[in-house]
Amino acid sequence: MTTQTVTLTGLRAVYGRGARRVTALDGVTTSFASGTFTAVMGPSGSGKSTLLHCAAGLDRPAEGTVTIDGRRLDDLGENELTRLRRDRIGFVFQAFNLVSTLTAAQNVELPLRLAGRRPPARDVTAALDAVGLADRAGHRPSELSGGEQQRVAVARALVTRPAVVFADEPTGALDSAASRQVLRLLRGLVDDHRQTVVMVTHDPTAAAYADRVLLLADGRVVDELTGAITAAVVAARIAERETVPAESVGEASC
Amino acid sequence: MLSIRRSAGAFVAVAIGVTLVAAATLLLASGRPRVPDRLAYAAVVVQSPDAGAPADSFAPTRPWSAARTAELTGRLADVPGVTAAVPDRTFYAQALVDGRPPATDARREDAHQGHGWSSSRLGGLRLTAGEPPRQAGEVVVDRALGLRPGGPVTLLTAAGPEPYTVTGLVDAPGVWVADGVAAALAPGVRAIGLLVAPSTDAEEVAETVRGVVGGDGRVLTGDARGAVEPRGDARTRWIGRQVLTAMAALAGFVTVFVVASTFAFTVAQRRRELGLLRAVGATPRQVRRLVHAEALVVGATAGVAGLLAGAAIAPGLGRLLVDVGFEPATFQVRYEPWPLAVSFLAGPAIALLAVWAASRRAARVSPLEALREAAADQRPVGRLRVATGVLLVAAGAALSLGTATSDDARSGATFALYAVMALVAGATVLAPAVVGPVVRLLRSPVRRPGGAIGMLVRAGALTATRRTASIAAPVLLTVAFAVLVSGMVRTTTAAYAAGRADNVNAGWVVVPDRAPGLSDQAVAATGGTALLPTTVFRSDPGTPPENRPLTALGVDPAGFAAANRALTVVAGTLNDLRGDDTVVVPASANRQPTQPYALVFADGESVSLRVVAVVTDDSIRGDLLLPRSVVRAHDPSALTSAVYLRDRIEPPLGARIVDVSVWAAEADRAEDRLVWLFTLLLIGVSAGYGAVAVANTLLMAAAGRVADLRLIRLAGALRRQVIWLVTAESALVVLIGALLGGAVAFVGLLSIRAGLAEQVGVPVDLVVPWSVVGGVVGLCLLLAVLASALSAWRSLSSRTGRRA
Repeated sequence: MTTQTVTLTGLRAVYGRGARRVTALDGVTTSFASGTFTAVMGPSGSGKSTLLHCAAGLDRPAEGTVTIDGRRLDDLGENELTRLRRDRIGFVFQAFNLVSTLTAAQNVELPLRLAGRRPPARDVTAALDAVGLADRAGHRPSELSGGEQQRVAVARALVTRPAVVFADEPTGALDSAASRQVLRLLRGLVDDHRQTVVMVTHDPTAAAYADRVLLLADGRVVDELTGAITAAVVAARIAERETVPAESVGEASC
Repeated sequence: MLSIRRSAGAFVAVAIGVTLVAAATLLLASGRPRVPDRLAYAAVVVQSPDAGAPADSFAPTRPWSAARTAELTGRLADVPGVTAAVPDRTFYAQALVDGRPPATDARREDAHQGHGWSSSRLGGLRLTAGEPPRQAGEVVVDRALGLRPGGPVTLLTAAGPEPYTVTGLVDAPGVWVADGVAAALAPGVRAIGLLVAPSTDAEEVAETVRGVVGGDGRVLTGDARGAVEPRGDARTRWIGRQVLTAMAALAGFVTVFVVASTFAFTVAQRRRELGLLRAVGATPRQVRRLVHAEALVVGATAGVAGLLAGAAIAPGLGRLLVDVGFEPATFQVRYEPWPLAVSFLAGPAIALLAVWAASRRAARVSPLEALREAAADQRPVGRLRVATGVLLVAAGAALSLGTATSDDARSGATFALYAVMALVAGATVLAPAVVGPVVRLLRSPVRRPGGAIGMLVRAGALTATRRTASIAAPVLLTVAFAVLVSGMVRTTTAAYAAGRADNVNAGWVVVPDRAPGLSDQAVAATGGTALLPTTVFRSDPGTPPENRPLTALGVDPAGFAAANRALTVVAGTLNDLRGDDTVVVPASANRQPTQPYALVFADGESVSLRVVAVVTDDSIRGDLLLPRSVVRAHDPSALTSAVYLRDRIEPPLGARIVDVSVWAAEADRAEDRLVWLFTLLLIGVSAGYGAVAVANTLLMAAAGRVADLRLIRLAGALRRQVIWLVTAESALVVLIGALLGGAVAFVGLLSIRAGLAEQVGVPVDLVVPWSVVGGVVGLCLLLAVLASALSAWRSLSSRTGRRA
């Protein structure tokens, strides 16, 4: 039995007030096992980004609990939460996620420096090497391509050896070749280092790299795929959901 | 993480602030009493006892009498190590050239001072030609006058013009006469200079001398001898100190606020980057420290730049202060260490104070900000903020009114300073809240369609409310302050002049011409009577302080009673004010007729007088009335300031005649001029900062508009049209701010005028110095137009305008 790195229980998230009230998450319970690669999919407004933000401690749910590596996030104050994020969680965003005035190497060592540690140069080089960018250490983001920037971001997410890496549309701003590189990188992390990865995407091709795909609609988990996942299967399942109106598919999200 | 471009605005503002602080503090430290040249060689100076008055009243010291001087000089000369003890006798005297006092700098007190020749030793003075004066009628004069030894010269003293013969020339201002003549003209002595043998230590000699002098004077050595500087110099220095302190305080204060708004803007622009830092693990505390550290770097570098600039401009500024009369002619810039240290710390201190609010806001940025596309900071303005802002602006307005209603220039200037501080603080706090009203006001003048540019200008000004407000607010307040304070000072000056002219029941006034006062002969030649003021000293038994200085007015009782309509006699009669031992006191002196009243006169003699009449306190513009002859007998250098006449006469020597309106306008001219210069200085500093704030905001806002401008270019606008658009936009906002500010201030001015008219009892004209107002608006306009045109031009020409 594998351990669950991240557990979500009865998550509800609500935004706005009165008539503009939007329920972004409506009772989501699921978990992400260690050493697995999960893709979270769903149409716009389905709550997939909110799910990621809550799971990663960037946002606080209205109800429900998030447990990462055995620690409940709702007990933590802002500073403890920041420290937990810094040490146990890695992030990769869609774009604009490098500090433009720092070099690739400086961006990678930023989380450790914020934690008050001075990382050995070879750790940073190793992290960059792992994403194939050892020769770009001294370059600033403006001198790197979009794919390279995203790989630097992955290196930065990994440098603290986090329990889980969350990626929010990591290939959203990349062309298909660069996307493939980044996705292979993430896949490799899971296969070679038993890294836990949770990725939000709307691209079935990207989702095909995952071990498991969660489909969200209207703030609920409405479907789940495991086993042999291909882009065609994912696309078919999504198409299916769009033609068949969501008539309470109430599948328990194991 | 520090972006040079982003911090440029803050850097410039801090650098300017520190420049002003550095220059002002350097000049403050330089403004020390200077040993007069004529006493430079006296290693030890004994000064007569201090008057019992506050230091800022600049009362002269209580002189020693002739007898006491002789005794003291004799005993001091016997002190071991003292080679000579010479009394410094100073009296009013000036040489006439071509029948008129020479056009030397009237503010240089030593240009119309006479001394005994023996005191020339104290200044190491050497004759450049001729012989020393040996007897009455002989004089040594300044070489610069162009007179030759052996030639005749007319010397003007308090008695009147007298013929003298030039026996020699020296290279120093003033005149030197034989010691006997000096003793008659200056019987009272305020300083004795001691020449000390070369091998002797001045401090040791001073110790012995202190034993000799006891409580009857102060023994001074080294720089402390500056205490014997002319009273006028001390007063000018004091004024200079007030001006410089105000300048440093205002510059520091305004800088904090301008820089604070710059930092607030920078943080708003960087929300995304700060959010990213938070997401990858920066705690709020670390974000705050980051913002602090950036401010510190900006503050420290700008501080050093400002320090160097300040040190560089200090000598020039010092000369300017001397020229306009804020520092005495003897003023010299000295680079003391403490002002440099203060200025060095001022930069970081200003930056840290300014970044306080912005750093708190930065620390509150949530990690999710990194994921949002647009960083629109549209939080509503808090009620507390509005209340604080309104209170500050109200306080500023009230203080501005205080400036108008205060009686003397000193408190008026203080009010003006606090007013501008409160207004600046209020403006910063209120800026985001005034968006609505400003925009609504903008709507009407730009409603008419005027082509594509007009449409875009209108739309831009109306939608970018935050930018509009942050540009209009500083302009509004700067203009309001400039109009209010300059209009107030001018209107008040004119009102008081009108009031003075109305109070005098005369057509013509005889006033001194290039001289500090009118001589007896000049007064007699006018056929009128006049006041002869002198300073006397009184020690009331049992009531400290001793040697209280009093202004005694020498009068001719009959003429005085006829001319002074406000005179109310409480007891006794003014007609008894005759002979050499009578005095009239005000009711507050608590004396009755026939009671004795002892005074020390300017000649150092203590005389017991007899009270002959008591008048109400507001009857006389002084402390006592004395017979004119008594004043003259005891103060050979007393001078009359003006004589009022019904008809025009030919003015006597050293005098000129003016009509009442000219006199009224001139009467307080020296003081009015200083107040006006001070006002201009305050307006200049605040306007400069207003303009810097406007330009700063425009430059920083430009970064966020690059995409907009590109779009307009793509839609078919020429580059010229885009620059026009941006320039017109900012010019419009500046003008609207100026109009609003002017309107607010004008309302204030009207109420001030009403108050003044009541106070002086005559109708008062509203005087608004349009040149100053125009200059302030022009400066804001110029910087706004330059900043917006420059940034638009730059953003359109750079191809790599990628947003980082």
